[in-house]
Amino acid sequence: MRPILIWIITIVALVIAPTMVSAYTTSLLMAILMYAALAQSWTIFSGSTGYISLATSAFFGLGAYVTALLDGRFPLPVAMVIAALINFVLVFAVASAVLRLKGPYFAILTFGLSELMAHSSLWLELKMFGTRGRMLKPVEPEVVYYSLLVIALVVFLTAYLVKRSNFGLALRSIGQDEERAETLGINTTLIKLIGFSLSAALMGAVGAAVTPRWTYLDPYIAFNALITFQTIIMSRVGGMGSLYGPLLGAAVLASLSELFLTRFPYHYMIMLGTVLIIIVLFLPDGLSGLIGRVFRKDNAGRGMQEAEHA
Amino acid sequence: MVNKFSGWNFLKMAAAALSTLFFLGSAASAEEPKEIKVGFTLSQSGPYSMGAQLQQMPNYVMWAEEVNARGGILIKKLGKRLPVRLVHYDDRSDIETAVRLYERLATKDKVDLMLPPWGTSMTFAVASIADRYGYPLIGVTVSSMRLKELGLKNFFSMMQAPDAVCGAIVDLLAAVREKANLKSLGMINVSDLWGVEVVKESVPLFRDKGFKIVMEKSYPLGSKDLTVVLKELKAKKIDTYIGYSYPGDTFLATAQSQGLGFNPKVFWAGIGAILPAYEAKFGAAVNGVMGPGTWNQKVPFKGSKEYYGRFVKRWKEKPDHWGGPCTWASLQCIEQAIAKVGDLDRKKLTQALHNDKFSTIIGPVKFTKGSNLATPGMVMQWQQGVYEIIWPKERATAEPIVPKPAWKTQ
Amino acid sequence: MEFGLLFDIGISGLIMGGIYALIAIGLNLQYGLMRILNIAHGELVMLGAYITFSLYSGLGLNPLLSLIVSGPAIFLLGLLIHRLLFQHMLQTSHSLEALEGDSLLVSFGLMFIIQNLALMIWGADLRGYAYLNEPVAFLGAVFPANRFLAFSVAILLSVGFYLFLRFSLAGKVVRAVMQDKVGCQLIGVRIFKVHRICFGLGVAMAAMTGSLLSMVFDLSPSMGLPFTVTGLIVVVLGGLGSISGSLIGGLILGVVESLGAYFTSPDLKIVISYAVFIAILLIRPNGLLGVRGRGD
Repeated sequence: MRPILIWIITIVALVIAPTMVSAYTTSLLMAILMYAALAQSWTIFSGSTGYISLATSAFFGLGAYVTALLDGRFPLPVAMVIAALINFVLVFAVASAVLRLKGPYFAILTFGLSELMAHSSLWLELKMFGTRGRMLKPVEPEVVYYSLLVIALVVFLTAYLVKRSNFGLALRSIGQDEERAETLGINTTLIKLIGFSLSAALMGAVGAAVTPRWTYLDPYIAFNALITFQTIIMSRVGGMGSLYGPLLGAAVLASLSELFLTRFPYHYMIMLGTVLIIIVLFLPDGLSGLIGRVFRKDNAGRGMQEAEHA
Repeated sequence: MVNKFSGWNFLKMAAAALSTLFFLGSAASAEEPKEIKVGFTLSQSGPYSMGAQLQQMPNYVMWAEEVNARGGILIKKLGKRLPVRLVHYDDRSDIETAVRLYERLATKDKVDLMLPPWGTSMTFAVASIADRYGYPLIGVTVSSMRLKELGLKNFFSMMQAPDAVCGAIVDLLAAVREKANLKSLGMINVSDLWGVEVVKESVPLFRDKGFKIVMEKSYPLGSKDLTVVLKELKAKKIDTYIGYSYPGDTFLATAQSQGLGFNPKVFWAGIGAILPAYEAKFGAAVNGVMGPGTWNQKVPFKGSKEYYGRFVKRWKEKPDHWGGPCTWASLQCIEQAIAKVGDLDRKKLTQALHNDKFSTIIGPVKFTKGSNLATPGMVMQWQQGVYEIIWPKERATAEPIVPKPAWKTQ
Repeated sequence: MEFGLLFDIGISGLIMGGIYALIAIGLNLQYGLMRILNIAHGELVMLGAYITFSLYSGLGLNPLLSLIVSGPAIFLLGLLIHRLLFQHMLQTSHSLEALEGDSLLVSFGLMFIIQNLALMIWGADLRGYAYLNEPVAFLGAVFPANRFLAFSVAILLSVGFYLFLRFSLAGKVVRAVMQDKVGCQLIGVRIFKVHRICFGLGVAMAAMTGSLLSMVFDLSPSMGLPFTVTGLIVVVLGGLGSISGSLIGGLILGVVESLGAYFTSPDLKIVISYAVFIAILLIRPNGLLGVRGRGD
């Protein structure tokens, strides 16, 4: 009951925020929402199955380009849906070969795919349009904000539903022991495929939503590998064991980045790097794990999974 | 732990959180302006950092120092001088970060004036933000035909656009072609917006003047190795080389051309040629290398030679020949606009920037629909340690030297 | 299409490939051996390059001689990094995926730190020096001498290391640990000591590659990441844990890049490299010479 309340309050606060805080804080919130949604989408698949995907920027970028190519012909929410569908279908059709790989091979392959996307888009754009990058029709910041809020809500709701469903159970069992899951009769290929495609679809929607903020889009911006790394970092810092982990990770890291960037322009990289290292070394379950441990002292709770299902 | 009780607690916590947000959000500002806040971001890391730190930062900083040494900028409306304070951040060569930071400059730091970041992509992205909040912005390291597409009312561009840059190259080469017996032209370009545009502009211009383009290849941004294209250029006996490249690539192409013994009669190196570091690195070998630019220490415009002296004294380095002087010129325009208008009202300043003529170290500046058309495209060439202007004739500080002497190996 | 130019370009590719191979071997010692995904590997290449640059411009020290400085210096740094950052993780991670993920993040933080330090010490301008930048002919193909030199030394180091692994007792220990960690523990091998030394060796190789590269390319604090990426591609391509795989993979990548650039355009060079990489992995999911459970 208690966690539900926190969620409701957070959501309400996020909904009314643009009317109450400065444009600057709103833009910071947008960055947080974007990364929270990405981090949670990533966790839905990679967190459960242990298949570390480095393809986030590819899916994000595809979504970004959907918005760019649609060029304002449809309202932003429609662009988001189209982006999600395209990503889902594309990944579903193509990824079964990719999912045969394990561990580091999978990770680096997905990274290679991302880079391949980025560079072929560059070349394609050159050939098809004779130019680099495109201008985007401006969109009201509020529209972008609420679109991001909506997709973030959708992502978190999806994560919640997946976690409680048999599908989620199947994903987790693959993460624990894929061979055993196979012998137990789970169609691991199909499950992985659906999970991966779902994750990709959500990331695409996020990319589609946030793009109009930048006025100008080119493949290096859309398929920026930093997006992949930051997503994983935020997921890990927040903690993948609980639902609010990615949100917490995004909020903390985005705010810290901003703080360091603006107060310590010459040293912020060192500071950020140090904070990251400390968190990873000393908080194996991320910040949410820490909070969970502190606040559950009175619970006789066995493991993380039981105590937290919010 | 009873539910109702803890629920109450959390409501209280939430209320506290919300009101904190409220406080953070609303920033109170001082009433009587005591200083002029000038905001910008410049990359300190990533691929844009070199240009940003070499071309723009030293000029922004030196300008603020000199203005403040004079007691500040005179604001007639207030009847006094106000000092300038630079408010700046590192955008990490990341567009998302830059956009967010410019929004911060407008809404949180509430700066009075804005200066641009480095490079075309970044300036574009940031220009809309500046425009939305009504800040005039003069782009100084932007060279693109796409400016018009932006349709922004508050955006200005100081540098020559690709058509002017290419037009000058073509005209110069046409003028020297016979004497130097130039037969085959080869072009390479960096696959970034500027690189793509200059190729698009130059190919028809070259064809019109009857040049034969034997080879045209593009290479990705941040390439570490250009030997393949350079070998091909050499094998095809290209005697006129045009390398539309960014500073890092220009250095790379030059070094690798030396290493491969690629010695065309004309070597238009790229943007990197405008940097003093280029001459410092390659020494006497740069003799005869051509490139773009807009200024050198010999031009007759008011204040130009003094600028050169002061810059060298302040930074113990020479200024560059394109982005840097354009930056300084833009600052001069801003100062002159403020002097004309008498206050910091952004609408009036924008008007003044659109309508007036300005006198700067790069010559007269006049913005037509936001683009400075008063400065023609130029070709410059390194000759005995000076980066001379060799085209157009009205601006030239020396005669072109063709062919370029063969690379002196060290 | 002239055969001469083709050959020329192919050799050019081999030369770059030799450099890639050395970087990849160093990375393999971490990723293949310990499943530590060290994304800061390229930063150590950068450090090696800057060390050599500083020694050359400050003391006039011959770049080849500076290998004697950069190698051991970074080796020691590697020991330190391993002890401080990775050892705990290696001992307590509950799965290889968790280890991989955590090492990725920690090394990401490390990357930030090293880059920032380099920025503070050497500044953002491109630095470089010219050393042996004259054309030299080899079998009818022409290259800058420094590039040829860099390649030769890189190949020497790579092959030397391979021989060391194959024929020396210490090398056998390393290979044994790669193949069967538990077995080694049972017979008393101090796993973590082996890990730490290998980590140090790996980054030392990165630094030495950087020193060699400084003869050929200009330096900037942000030059590291692309090398890390290439290194990762080659390691995975060749097969995790397979040193010969990294060697061959590196050479293949170099040649594919060069020929790809020549036949199409440099723009597509990266596309082609990645496409080839992906294709090979899909056909051989454990890399060219990788074996399930690793080996050499």
